[in-house]
Amino acid sequence: MIENTLIAILALVGAPLLGGLLYGVDRRLTARLQNRVGPPLEQPFYDVIKLWAKDQVVPNRSQALYVYGYLGAAMAGTVLFFLQQDMLVVLFVLALGSIELVLGGFSVKSPYSQIGSQRELLQMLAYEPVLLLFAVGVFMATKSFMVASAFTVTQPLLFSLPLVAISLIFVLGLKLRKSPFDTSASAHAHQELVRGIFTEFSGRHLALVEVAHWYELVVILGFVALLWTNPLVVGVGLALVFFLAVIVIDNITARLTWRSVLRLTWLGGALVAIVNLAALYAFGGRFLN
Amino acid sequence: MQNADLLMASALLVPAVAGILCLLLKVPAAQKVVVVILTVFLILATTLIVQKGPFSYSPPPLGPLPWDQLLLVGDAALILSFFYFGWRAKNNLILGLTAAQTIAVGFLEYRLSQAHPAGEAIFVLDHLSLVMAVVIGVVGSAIALYALHYMDTHEHHLHLQASRQGRFFAVILVFLGAMNGLVFADSLPWLFFFWEVTTLCSFLLIGHDDTEVARQNAQRALWMNLVGGVAFACGMIVLLDQAHTLSIQKILATSKPSAALLAAMGLVVIGGFTKAAQMPFQSWLLGAMVAPTPVSALLHSSTMVKAGVYLVVRMAPAYEGTWLSQAVAVAGGFTFVATAALAVSQSNAKRVLAYSTISNLGLIMACAGINNALAISAAILLILFHAVSKGLLFLAVGAIEQRIGSRDIEDMEGLLGRMPVTTVVTLVGILSMLLPPFGVLIAKWAAIEAAARAPLVMVMIAAGSAFTVVFWTKWMGRLVSLPPSTQPLPRETMSPFFSIPLVGLAAGAVVLTALVGPVMDLLIEPAVALTYASKGLEAAGGLVASNIGTFPVWPLLIVLAVLLLVAYVASTGREQRVQPAYLCGENVPDLEAAEFRGAADQPQALAMRSYYFEDWLGETRLTKLANPIALVLLVAILGVAFL
Repeated sequence: MIENTLIAILALVGAPLLGGLLYGVDRRLTARLQNRVGPPLEQPFYDVIKLWAKDQVVPNRSQALYVYGYLGAAMAGTVLFFLQQDMLVVLFVLALGSIELVLGGFSVKSPYSQIGSQRELLQMLAYEPVLLLFAVGVFMATKSFMVASAFTVTQPLLFSLPLVAISLIFVLGLKLRKSPFDTSASAHAHQELVRGIFTEFSGRHLALVEVAHWYELVVILGFVALLWTNPLVVGVGLALVFFLAVIVIDNITARLTWRSVLRLTWLGGALVAIVNLAALYAFGGRFLN
Repeated sequence: MQNADLLMASALLVPAVAGILCLLLKVPAAQKVVVVILTVFLILATTLIVQKGPFSYSPPPLGPLPWDQLLLVGDAALILSFFYFGWRAKNNLILGLTAAQTIAVGFLEYRLSQAHPAGEAIFVLDHLSLVMAVVIGVVGSAIALYALHYMDTHEHHLHLQASRQGRFFAVILVFLGAMNGLVFADSLPWLFFFWEVTTLCSFLLIGHDDTEVARQNAQRALWMNLVGGVAFACGMIVLLDQAHTLSIQKILATSKPSAALLAAMGLVVIGGFTKAAQMPFQSWLLGAMVAPTPVSALLHSSTMVKAGVYLVVRMAPAYEGTWLSQAVAVAGGFTFVATAALAVSQSNAKRVLAYSTISNLGLIMACAGINNALAISAAILLILFHAVSKGLLFLAVGAIEQRIGSRDIEDMEGLLGRMPVTTVVTLVGILSMLLPPFGVLIAKWAAIEAAARAPLVMVMIAAGSAFTVVFWTKWMGRLVSLPPSTQPLPRETMSPFFSIPLVGLAAGAVVLTALVGPVMDLLIEPAVALTYASKGLEAAGGLVASNIGTFPVWPLLIVLAVLLLVAYVASTGREQRVQPAYLCGENVPDLEAAEFRGAADQPQALAMRSYYFEDWLGETRLTKLANPIALVLLVAILGVAFL
């Protein structure tokens, strides 16, 4: 019990620090790819602190409900993940957060945030099945849905789930709303959707949304790391490689329409994952002996 | 035994008698009193039956005629009524199918009179029956109460000369009794009799408003359910021939089913598929939405269509581990994903609810097909929780429709600012269908974990779940979309006949989730343990666990409560300036106007719609695509018996 409480506190404090830093890496690397110097690594923290201090301007009084719902779900999902709980439950809780965010976008009578919300739903439609398939893949290899089971394997899960691993890149791109998957919002406010789903969040509420992103990023990268748990450092390295890959892809691709996003993710992500799972099923849970 | 006589009479006969009383009493006030007394009575009887626990029962002989001959009279009366309605509507399809059913039932009765299976109880109440009884008694009563007020307003809108509520409540109450009979029956011919009574009730209630479209849809519902009835009756003939009994308990005890027995099971399953409006039979349930909303809530979401899945789940142990089971899983999974996708394209709230109902029934079918302890636990959980949430949602839509005069989701934009109580209740209903840690999601979680061993079904469930998120969230998005305002929400007044069932069911959905531990211990685990050696799900310490995963119900409930509290404190504690939405600086100065400066600086109202993806997920396109596939799967259910 005490150990679990410690893990939970560590996850709640550590995850946003790590996630914020990763967003800093993103800012910096993207700048370098674009021939700019870029901000310091800790810039995301400065941004959030500044947002926190601003006057609170809201479009309606219900917005707080959605913002805290989103952040709270992201935090709960993070804690459940690091307590090595059921992967499906972690995914459901993260989905709860995403739905809260979408409702936050819908709650304002604004064309930008509402179209952003509609498209965010389509992004969810694209990646939710892939994430569920990942969990099932882990189950096939370990016979359990608990995160803990990924640490009991004798050979890395990557060997059983090579194609599922590729599909996780799509999920990461969609979750981070990076090109070519940035249909619901993008990093900059100068596109046809303004800032899409985030348009109407400001001040403290926007700061909380940012922090929720950090939690989410860490959990998704955590899922990637499960692909190689012994030693875990390889898995963490793998997650970092995925993260960098998504940033590079972001900088070399342009935004797709939502139809293309859906088609690409279902064909390139879900279908590929399904092929992996079908083969794994035929082989009885592992390819190599 | 006296006790059992009393209980069974209360559950089966009293509702029917009260129904006939409603028909005879021409005074609306007296009818209302009868309905109110009956609902209280039914809840009481259900409680006592659950308390008594499992028992088997055969009624004492009634006069000189033995019960199986009374059953013959009942079957004949039903068939005559079907002939009558087919003849009156000049519907050859109904006439033909009724003729087929006459032959099948006649032959069955003939064989039954030769076989003389002796010493079998007519009714056996086990834990699965009790789960269904709780749904019928509690949700059914709530809906009947709601209908008292609803039908007044409904008839007021229709400008009727004379009230037809006597007929309406008569059928509703008879239906409740028949439904209890259906879930208590152990003798398949008796189950079939009650099954056909519910078909008749459904037909009468869909056509209740007696408009052209109501009549058409009622006829469609009747003939499709007759298809199921014929399949069911044929299945029983083969079953009797092969197993020499029509007692469910004895059939389930048969080890190693023969090919013919499986084919019979396939026919019975197809009966279940029609009743549960699985693809390709979904059109009757969609058509049934023309009925007054309490009918949709009671028959077409929480109880009667559940009879279809009940039958398939009930018989599941008899075809465990066979190809038939796999075919059922795939067909159910297919209905789950296809109708979830179809629901995305609908803006008519009742159609969304109808598709979602079919979808959830599909998931229950899939679980029955996966057919292990975990899957069956998921199926029973879903039967229970779906009934509460979906019953609630239908009632909420009915209340909204009577207030705003539309059931279109687009017309519900910003409803939170107009009908806050009803909207919050609707939101609770949707959230309890969609989000952790509510009961429906516990069931879905268990279903996915059970399906992980059947990858094809699993893929369909994964895709279907994603579509489910889209259509529910889109709907919630319309409800909560508000122009900026500094005003507090208005007060909403409601008849107690509306507020008690609505708030009661909403609270029920939450409380039932919180009490999932006792519910599992008392009802669901014993129901599964009847036929499956291993344990599916176990509840302990606020968690629900299988041997491959854990769902932390109480921790998540606590997180949810804390979040609500924090959000409330945050939204009231600090100074918040309300500003209009960003419109590129073209806002009209008035904060609450929701207008922008358009061409020639004229104010233009801001209008937004949801996406419905007509060209992609539209009904005509997708149905044309999905129905043939579903038909093939249905044929497979019959065919695989011979593999």
